[in-house]
Amino acid sequence: MLEPVMYEGGVYKHNQIIELVEDLGGYIIQKNVMQTDVVLLMLVPLNDMDIVEEKARELLGKLTRAPLTGTEIATVAPTLAYHHLPHLDCDVAEFLRKKGAKTNMVGLARGVGKRICQLSAYERDLINEHDLAVFILGNYEHCIIEKSKRLYEGIEVPIVVTGAPELKLEDVPNATAYVGSFGRILHHMRHSEELRTLDKLADVIGKVLDNVRQEIAKDPPSVAPPRIKKEIEEQIPEIIDSLHPLPITLQMNGARVKLPYEEYHEKLENIQFVEGMSMKDVAQVLPSKMRNFVLIRARPKSETGFVI
Amino acid sequence: MEQLETFMVESPDAVGAKTTKTLIQDVLADLSLNRVIGRLRVFVDPVEPVFIFAALLRLGTPAIRLKDFAKVDMGALGKDEVKIELLREAFTIKLLNKLWEKYGKENIVQPDKKIIVVKTDPIKELDVLREIVIEEPQQEVLDRLIDAIALRIIPEGFRVRKHELSSSHVLFVASEDTLKPEWLEKAKDIIESLRRSEDNA
Repeated sequence: MLEPVMYEGGVYKHNQIIELVEDLGGYIIQKNVMQTDVVLLMLVPLNDMDIVEEKARELLGKLTRAPLTGTEIATVAPTLAYHHLPHLDCDVAEFLRKKGAKTNMVGLARGVGKRICQLSAYERDLINEHDLAVFILGNYEHCIIEKSKRLYEGIEVPIVVTGAPELKLEDVPNATAYVGSFGRILHHMRHSEELRTLDKLADVIGKVLDNVRQEIAKDPPSVAPPRIKKEIEEQIPEIIDSLHPLPITLQMNGARVKLPYEEYHEKLENIQFVEGMSMKDVAQVLPSKMRNFVLIRARPKSETGFVI
Repeated sequence: MEQLETFMVESPDAVGAKTTKTLIQDVLADLSLNRVIGRLRVFVDPVEPVFIFAALLRLGTPAIRLKDFAKVDMGALGKDEVKIELLREAFTIKLLNKLWEKYGKENIVQPDKKIIVVKTDPIKELDVLREIVIEEPQQEVLDRLIDAIALRIIPEGFRVRKHELSSSHVLFVASEDTLKPEWLEKAKDIIESLRRSEDNA
């Protein structure tokens, strides 16, 4: 079991922590160097957590649990208009990114209104490629409830809804979680209580994702997503030239690879693991709805009969 | 003159009304419209659904014409030209752009900082030039106001709209469904009540 954590510390000697985590069988997912500070997002084996904590203390760094690490989240706005952007939607997306998630913003074509809102098949499929969807709705209780009845049709990933009123989850149909005190806010969220609201959203999403992780652990994927990332980086050197943000985006049950599907899907399928399997034995390589990218979905243990 | 003497957002949904009020404040501040609106009342009923936005306006200075800041006269004797002598330089750039557009660059000469000569028939064009509008602050403010209300404040889903716009007031009624006559009545009442409070003040 790998634990998602974030290390914040100085650049000096931070290589030691990277090497330690890699030696323990963990993975470095992202490394951000900002002048003299470094932020590492990593997956550490749960049993060896003490050793990493000890090392972090020695380097005067801070180790915090970051349950959003290694997930891809869709932040969905009814449209990409002034009503929702740049404030609130971008604030939410940026905040979740700071907490370790990769966020993609989705603006619906016909997402407005409580009676007339619609979700197209393409939008539905695109949102379903993520680990979780955050729907950022507005000010009025009645509208949020009415809209929730029809807008999330066909979405299979957990849905977190935000809005102004403090509603009980039971009142919001089809939602996995609801977070209040948001609403349609047209200024940058920077006051302390607004930041607390964002913190609350991150906590709620973390809890939802933890539940998903537990579900996945019951029938674990044959190959861990960070392992997929590592093998692609080692065996397909072209990924280094990809200028997309996070060319290999980790998801809880696979990865999104930002390479053209037509050109690369065979190469990806034929990636070899030292255990003797190739990628197509342990995962499905699918075309993604996002541009012409590749989506890799790990096969569960119940299908293959083994875990590498 | 005080800004926003009346500012009310009424709705059966109290939380929604409060958030909408903050939202309107943000938008008005963003587009610097605080001084333009004198009194403002908004009524929202999400169940119906209807959104009524009524405001009394305080528009600033009227349009600025060439004669307001320059002397416009016949040019040199016997030549087809009009001489413009600028008294204030603030609008020179806008004026030049307008003149270039209308008469062509080759027909505009500026021998001195404050003198512009337009090569054209002075008898026909003199009065036209005097009345030429250089800047329309009111129109710019109204454009911004429409941007604020129609594109930022009214909920996006409310696509059926009816509006009234004059130099003294603005009124928007919006809904997702066909507008009902009683909403239009209510909107008229709101504007009337704003006018009454303005008169009493």
